[in-house]
Amino acid sequence: MWMTVEVNGHIYEREVAEHWTLLRFLREDLELTGTKDGCSAGECGACTVMLNGEAVNACMVLAVEADGATVATIEAEAVDGELSEIQAAFARNYAVQCGYCTGGMVMSVRELLRRNPKPTIDEIKEGIEGNLCRCTGYQQIIEAVLDVSGQLTTETKGELRYV
Amino acid sequence: MNEIFKYRAPTSRAELLALLADHGDGARVLAGGTDLLVDIRSGLVEPEMVINLKKVEDLPGLAWSESEGLLIGPATTVNEVMFDAKVRNWYPLLADCALTLASHQLRNRATVVGNIAHASPGADMAPGLLCLGAHVVIASQGNQREMPLKDFFTGVKRTALRSDEIIEAIVVPPGRAGARGSYRKLKRIEGHDLSLVGVALTKNDGALRVSIGSVAPTPLLVEGLHEDDSADSVVAAVREVIKPIDDLRCSKEYREYMVEVYVRRLLEEVA
Repeated sequence: MWMTVEVNGHIYEREVAEHWTLLRFLREDLELTGTKDGCSAGECGACTVMLNGEAVNACMVLAVEADGATVATIEAEAVDGELSEIQAAFARNYAVQCGYCTGGMVMSVRELLRRNPKPTIDEIKEGIEGNLCRCTGYQQIIEAVLDVSGQLTTETKGELRYV
Repeated sequence: MNEIFKYRAPTSRAELLALLADHGDGARVLAGGTDLLVDIRSGLVEPEMVINLKKVEDLPGLAWSESEGLLIGPATTVNEVMFDAKVRNWYPLLADCALTLASHQLRNRATVVGNIAHASPGADMAPGLLCLGAHVVIASQGNQREMPLKDFFTGVKRTALRSDEIIEAIVVPPGRAGARGSYRKLKRIEGHDLSLVGVALTKNDGALRVSIGSVAPTPLLVEGLHEDDSADSVVAAVREVIKPIDDLRCSKEYREYMVEVYVRRLLEEVA
């Protein structure tokens, strides 16, 4: 089916197979491979992108469903080589280990901060519960979110428990 | 996904119902897709046609009125319900249930109607909707019928819906607005997981209702109880109807035990 979709500010008109997921379209057709394919079943969140401004699992959307939609992927975060605020906070707080979950994490954090600019630690955990980090570096990720939302103090840093 | 199917995105209710009348047996309706796409990928269903209903312009959305109650349309997402001010005010139990369902980004896609139509025994929206006396409005070409939600579920992932029908809306009656209630879901982890058991309990105009998921082929509703019933008698009534099984998530005995724990806790919590 022919479809038109805006991805990271560019408009693409493409023919895409009905059974392709948005994830496969982004990775294989547009070659935007920052969006990762982890579980293909909506469990891991590595493929999280913004669809019409809301975070979704790209593996849980057919590409053709995005006909006429606006999509933003992790590739839209950095502008002219400058990291976004969220990305910079991740780097500053060592919130990246192997990096596989990071793209999806950043998108989920963007969604969280859009709804809730100063989330509590519990709200942060809830906001990223759909994103699995198998390096289990959640503490640093939570610190990065506290940091970017202006809430990281010497008291909270390194003191998070039961993450 | 290597499976091949035809894709249709009708823009009117009439067009949607005509497609289902012609292709119902081989077609699957796509709303949120969070169950359907997983089932297609795993080979559980092999539809010849996938019909996206999100482009249909004349189906109901999410609406509230004092005379009609709450209307949840077929494309209304779980997050739409969870964040809705009217829902939070009049049916906070539904927001409770919604928050426990999957993760934020799945809830941005997953629909309440889809959660019900998929009819998993552990569907998180079911216990709340059952306690609140919801009914379903079912449409097919040239026909519309209604039934109480408790009669809609017929077995594990089986419902009264025929292949040419859709759930056009779920209606929560105004009489149950303001019901005090809560939903407790037992999971293996803090993060998103399917329920081991899920228990909703409401108190409304003297009536006590308990609804339980993941303890029988369908979500269950226990009625005929009163707010001043003793905890022991409520537990006995619940024990009589549940039929849990062992599965990969936990044992039958653990389910039986935890249902009782949750019922007792909810009886105290819902004042």
